Amino acid sequence: MAETQQARLGRVLELLGPFLALALVVALFAVLAPDRFLSAYNLKTVATQTVIVGLGAIGMTFVIVSGGIDLSVGSLIALSSVVTAVLLREGWSAPGAVGAGILIGGAMGALNGLLITRLKIVPFVVTLGTMGIARGLAKYLAEEQKVDAPAAGLSELMAKSPDPAWLVLSPGVWLLLLLAAAAALLLGRTVFGVHTFAIGSNEATARLCGIRVERSKLTIYALCGLFAGLAGTLQFARLTVGDPTTALGKELDIIAAVVIGGGSLNGGSGSILGSIIGAFLMAFLANGCTLTGVPNYVQEILVGGIIIVAVAVDRLRHRATE
Amino acid sequence: MSRAILMTAMWCLAGCSSGGGGGGEPAAPQPGDAPAAAAEPAAPAAKRKIAVIPKGTTHEFWKSVHAGANKAGQELGVEIIWKGPVREDDRDEQVKVVESFIAAGVDAIVLAPLDDTALVPPAKDATREKIPVVIIDSDLQWDGRTSFVATDNHQGGAKAAERLGELLGGKGKVVVLRYQEGSASTMKREAGFLETVAAKFPDIEIVSSNQYGGATTESAYKTSENLLVSHEDVDGIFCPNESTTFGMLRALQDAKRAGEVKLVGFDSSAKLVEALGKGELHGLVLQNPFRMGELGVKTALAKLDGKAVEARIDTGVGVATKENMAEPAMRELLSPDLSKWLK
Repeated sequence: MAETQQARLGRVLELLGPFLALALVVALFAVLAPDRFLSAYNLKTVATQTVIVGLGAIGMTFVIVSGGIDLSVGSLIALSSVVTAVLLREGWSAPGAVGAGILIGGAMGALNGLLITRLKIVPFVVTLGTMGIARGLAKYLAEEQKVDAPAAGLSELMAKSPDPAWLVLSPGVWLLLLLAAAAALLLGRTVFGVHTFAIGSNEATARLCGIRVERSKLTIYALCGLFAGLAGTLQFARLTVGDPTTALGKELDIIAAVVIGGGSLNGGSGSILGSIIGAFLMAFLANGCTLTGVPNYVQEILVGGIIIVAVAVDRLRHRATE
Repeated sequence: MSRAILMTAMWCLAGCSSGGGGGGEPAAPQPGDAPAAAAEPAAPAAKRKIAVIPKGTTHEFWKSVHAGANKAGQELGVEIIWKGPVREDDRDEQVKVVESFIAAGVDAIVLAPLDDTALVPPAKDATREKIPVVIIDSDLQWDGRTSFVATDNHQGGAKAAERLGELLGGKGKVVVLRYQEGSASTMKREAGFLETVAAKFPDIEIVSSNQYGGATTESAYKTSENLLVSHEDVDGIFCPNESTTFGMLRALQDAKRAGEVKLVGFDSSAKLVEALGKGELHGLVLQNPFRMGELGVKTALAKLDGKAVEARIDTGVGVATKENMAEPAMRELLSPDLSKWLK
């Protein structure tokens, strides 16, 4: 009885932390830049800016909950944006090119999973390798230049003022929210989600309980790749060029979003909602710093500080509940 | 040559005289200057804000642009907000900065786009929100921009060709070390150089013009070494930017041929200025980033005041040599004192 209450309290606290941090950042800039920061236009802008990192963070949450890490997502975003652009240039239809962009992400993610489970190499090393491979592939396909391609209406996906005005937010934002809801159900309400948590908490025990760890891991990394692929096609929609150098270091933003949202790199904890809040927090911070004219170095120091504080709070919470 | 010096002298004059003489008679009409200091004193109640967005913030070139923008801002009583992409050379980061400034409701945006296509959508957004966008340094593939304020790179290359032709007495073997495929500004410099050599110096033979130095000094250095081995009898060399010039200079120094082979480069840095003084470098074509920042802001303000602005404003180039490098106008370009404008 007391235990379940404590566990519930823990869950509430787990989400309360990132929520409070987000509220704090929003409140701070609302005071510093009144009537600008909270304007509808700015909120729409921030929401659109969150889509790429947010989508990456959904996939990354599964990976981190399972006790792994994926450093290749930034490169996968670039690869997928280049693939989409090249195919559009070759005359493919928009849905075809987008589908291919998403699938190349999924295929590379599956490759990550295969290498991790078959060769029994730690995810950090495998994905460090595929990070370079995917980046190199993107540059090769793009012939070391950005790829100019007809946007074929794709830019509408990331338009801040969407065409049917009743959408209010850009289609990309709705896609992010819908997929986040679906992923939250997958992680929280299905057997696959339970297995993901079990593997992250204690892989040996999970194996003893009869969970097919290898198969689950393969699915998890492929899923992460699919989300990165989708993020890459939207990156193309946003830039209207396929850029092999885009999203350099984005994997760190994505990991930071998950960690701020309560994900632990030791595995076994994390939530989709938390990760999305983390992604929004970083987007609001960057936007607020620009709005108030804060120099870049201050912004970088702030983000770094927030990551450490978020993890420190997480540690304290764990100690309190144990 | 002397015309180049005259022009730089004029820049300085235009820069230093904030109040008087709105456009002396010899100066080619500089549209950006007109609204400068004179104009109506009827300043709006709130200080107007102009966002200036460079490609990056750490490079020396952009510091000069910043200083120029600040100067214009102080003279005209507007607030300059300086902000580049956090991750330099990342298109998406720069798009975000532009979007945020639109949301912030700045009065005008001065932008040096990282990409001629990717920055078009946010620039259009800005115009839709009635925020004029002045493009500096590199162009955007879009007619809706208020103005394009930048170096005429083709002319810069032509000036380099004239200097090298003069140094070689109109004959000899010349190597062009290109910068990078797909870099519009340097490709124009290379084209300007090659066309001018072909037109004015028929006795100069271009022995190599298909080698690229690449993005870093390191890669330019390696390519230079290889070029010097395969073209031992080279008389003159042109390099279209700072990294290729420095890489070639280092390779010449290693081969103990610095000073003997005539080298004309582009852009300035402390090391290049030193080499110019030692006679290891025989000419540097210089852009005027300070003026780019200054005119960018002034043009944006002219637009806000409802004045006519020209679609293309040339910020000019100068050629620094060992002989003229001590002159104040050239000093200003080679190693500008920015501390006055950057706190």
